[in-house]
This record gives sequence, structure tokens and C-alpha cells, in this order.
Amino acid sequence: MSNEISFHFNGAKFTGAAGQSVAAALIANGERELRRTRFGEEPRSIFCGIGICFDCVVTINGVANQRACLIEISNDMNVESTL
Amino acid sequence: MIIVVGAGPAGLAAAKSAAGKGCQVTVIDSQPRGGGQYWRHLTEVSGYKSDRSAEYLNELHQNKLITHITGAQVWSAEKLGDGYQLNYLQAGVEKKICAQKIILTTGAYDRTLPFPGWTTSGVMTPGGAQSLLKGHGVVAGKAIVVSGTGPFLLPVATALAKSGAHVEIIEAQSPLRWALSPLALLLNPGKFPELIHYASAIVRLKIRVSFGSAVTEYHSGVAQVSKVRSNLSIRKKSVRNINADVVATGWGFLPDVTLGGILGCAQTLDRDETVVFEVDKEQRASAKNIWIAGEATGIGGADLALAEGAIAGLSATGSRIPAGMRWKRFTKRLFAKALQRSYPVGGGWQEWLRDETVICRCEEVSCQEIVESVQELGAEDARTSKLFTRAGMGLCQGRVCSRNVSDLVAGTTKCSVSRNERLAASNRPIAAPISLGVLGDGIAG
Repeated sequence: MSNEISFHFNGAKFTGAAGQSVAAALIANGERELRRTRFGEEPRSIFCGIGICFDCVVTINGVANQRACLIEISNDMNVESTL
Repeated sequence: MIIVVGAGPAGLAAAKSAAGKGCQVTVIDSQPRGGGQYWRHLTEVSGYKSDRSAEYLNELHQNKLITHITGAQVWSAEKLGDGYQLNYLQAGVEKKICAQKIILTTGAYDRTLPFPGWTTSGVMTPGGAQSLLKGHGVVAGKAIVVSGTGPFLLPVATALAKSGAHVEIIEAQSPLRWALSPLALLLNPGKFPELIHYASAIVRLKIRVSFGSAVTEYHSGVAQVSKVRSNLSIRKKSVRNINADVVATGWGFLPDVTLGGILGCAQTLDRDETVVFEVDKEQRASAKNIWIAGEATGIGGADLALAEGAIAGLSATGSRIPAGMRWKRFTKRLFAKALQRSYPVGGGWQEWLRDETVICRCEEVSCQEIVESVQELGAEDARTSKLFTRAGMGLCQGRVCSRNVSDLVAGTTKCSVSRNERLAASNRPIAAPISLGVLGDGIAG
């Protein structure tokens, strides 16, 4: 995992290794909170980590409800917490 | 041509044995790389005997008879003439693939139980922690409590400790329960070196292990450990607090039975009331020209999945199944039974809950809301409770909570969960959410 990828999360710039998922790259950067829940506005991170639970959904390049644990980061990707 | 759905141990074994008989095989899988949830190899950290995956992955990559479709989420399936059509999403585009014969090896995911604080970030499944580490090279935290029950806690805990995390194991059951299954141990002597491998790793990595205990609450970086009985009810509350930035908690596995259910393959309840597929001696499902192997026919681990997959692959090509293969499957199934006996998941976890504890993570439905749907609105099963509370109606389609909601409703009504409710709760009309836009145009977004 040598290639460094840079992407944006809620406006801030982050880097990660090629092949890493959005969730993994953010957790590696100390960003645990991926979104807030609709009703309780509670912070959520990854839970199942394998695409089953949909707890980690984020908006990626404008497309909502994408699972951050499955989608690999790519250069200039724009990731936003779904509200 | 044969389609194998899933590229884990069962799927790879099926593809290898079918291609070995000269048959064209297409393996379709949702991940970018083969190996499934169990064999992940981006990092140096590997589990016991995980090197045997090389043989299967080489076959996947080099055998010209095998095609590997990656990053493809099969969301629905239908009967088409003499065969089947699978509809899948790949990079946001909807595609189709058809074949006369299908081998389903859809695997399983971690079973979880709710407790106060289980929705805070930092709580994840052991499978999630393992996937972060092995699939993405990220250690989930600095101080990690691996809790729940079952042998899968061992590879997860030791891999995390090897990668530098401070790790503790909190196992709910007593290892003495293995005394209930002497024959399974006798017929699976290969399990002893595996046990010694993990036991010595635990000693070497200074991992503290507690039995008969469970993490029953997690708040502000503190995991509260309680002593529990074998049915998971609390024997002594809050005996110890552990500082941890991650709690990896899992209670065995739930098979993913959605796709076979859509195709009309008959299901049944396993001894632990998990919904699994009925298969015959050659792994044939009740629907014509469908074979099912691995966790979807009953949780049994990679060894059993490999044995079942190899048999399914041979059967799908009309080949004879060697007696040695059947014997291997028999001994591994015996071991799978012993696992269920040694690591049961009873209903005592309901004692851990508070009124406000979230049960359905997607729709944020609390324990109190579900209990009230029973006591005040007259719900007698999970389906009715779901209509009142929305528990199980979120994006995960009830994969995480539906079994717990059934148990909680049954616990409140003091009844047991019916076979029909268990079967219904595990089946869904589609296997993954898909937007109407994609359905209409074939393109996402």
C-alpha cells in the first residue's frame, strides 16, 4: 500500500493508502464519527465493517447512502456526512 | 457454465472442483478481491493455517476456466427458462448474468446483541475490526476489548494484539463446555494444534482472558464487565471496568440466506434457531440446479465450507463424490454441532438493556418502544411490533436487529418465537437496497 490518495471529508483534506475503504482511511486519521443519526443525532462510525449494517453510510461525490466500509477511496473524492 | 455466488472458502472450493472437471465457472463476489470475509491478505497478519488460501486464490486467478467478477453486489435473482438470471450492481451500474446452474456460497455475518452504549462509535463487530485490520491495514483502536462468544474471538484478538493494540478477551461461555462434545473433538484432531497456536499466542502477547463474563455496558471509553450465566443472564453486575477505545463484540454468526430465499430454496431452523438452507447429500438445494455450500447451510467455519464447496462443485458437474470428501464433511459437521453446544447464545441478554437502549440501529427504536408495542398496543410477534415501531425497517433490512426484536417481543409476551417468524424474519424480497433510478436507467446517481 504505497500509493497515497487524497480525498475530502466534510470539507477537510485527508490522505489514505490506495485500496483502503473510506471508513478505514478516516479511522486511520482519527476520524471515528462518520455521520449523525436522523432522530437522536447520535454519532455513528463503522459497526459491521462488511457492508451489512449500513451504519456507516455517507454521501460520496453527491450520491447519498453509500457504505463507507465498502467503497475504496480515490483521488479528489468528496465524502460528506449524510444528514 | 456454472455461476458461483461468493468468493469465500466455500465458493473458491466449489469453483476449483468444478473447473477441475473441465467446466466453465464464473465466480461473482461483492468484494474487490477474492477470499471472502475469512481470507483477507493485504497485511502480514494472518490467522492459523490461512496460507492454505493461496492454493484456492491461485486457482481463481490462473485457471482459464474460471472468470472472477469483483465488486458486484447481486441484488436479485429470478428463474429464466431452464436456468437462472442474477441481477447485480457493479460500480453503480446494473448488470445481468445468466446460467443454468448456480452454486450459492453467500456466507455469514457477525451476530450482535444490544447493550447500553452499543451504538456509540468504538463499538463494532469482531468481523469489522478484522476487516479493518486485514483488509485495510488499520488497527481499530489502542485498547480493545474483544467480547462475546465463540472461537472467532481468538484470531481477531491475537491479530489485533500482534498489530500493537492492548487487547483483552471477554468470553461468555466456559471452555469446560467442550467436555459435552468428546466425539467431535476425537474426530477432529487437527483442532488441537490450532488451539495450541492461539493459546500460545495469547500467552506470548499477554492477552488477559476472562470466561463466564460479558461486556454489558459501554460509556465514555469504559467497558463494564459483568459475570454472566451460560444463558447470558447476569450473575453479578459490573464486576470490573476496562478502559477501552474499541469494544469488538460478536455472538457467533448469522448466515446470509436472502438470495437462496428469493430463488425459492427451502429453509429450515438449525439447532440454535438460525435460518439455514436444506440441502441433500450432494449440497443440492430444493430448487432445481441450485447447490448451496458453506455457512448458508449452517455455521461451521472455513474447514466445513471448503468440504461442502468441493462437494457442490463436483455435484454440479455431474461427477462422483469421493467417500473421503463425505467423511471429511461429516467430521466437520460434527465439530460445527459441538461449536453450537459450546458457545450457545441464550436470551439472558435482555437483562442488560435499559429502557432507552437502542435495539434497531437504523431506525433508532428503543427497547421501551418495542416493549410498549407489546404491552400497550398488543403486538404478539416481531412483525406486528415492527409495524408499530419501525424496528427492522431501515436500510439493513433487519439483518442486524430482527432476531433480537423477535426474542425481545417473545421475552415480553413470555412466549417462544415460532418457526414461521424465524423464517420470515430472515427473508427479504431483494438482497440489497437499490435506487429506482438505477432500476430505471441501469445507472446510479
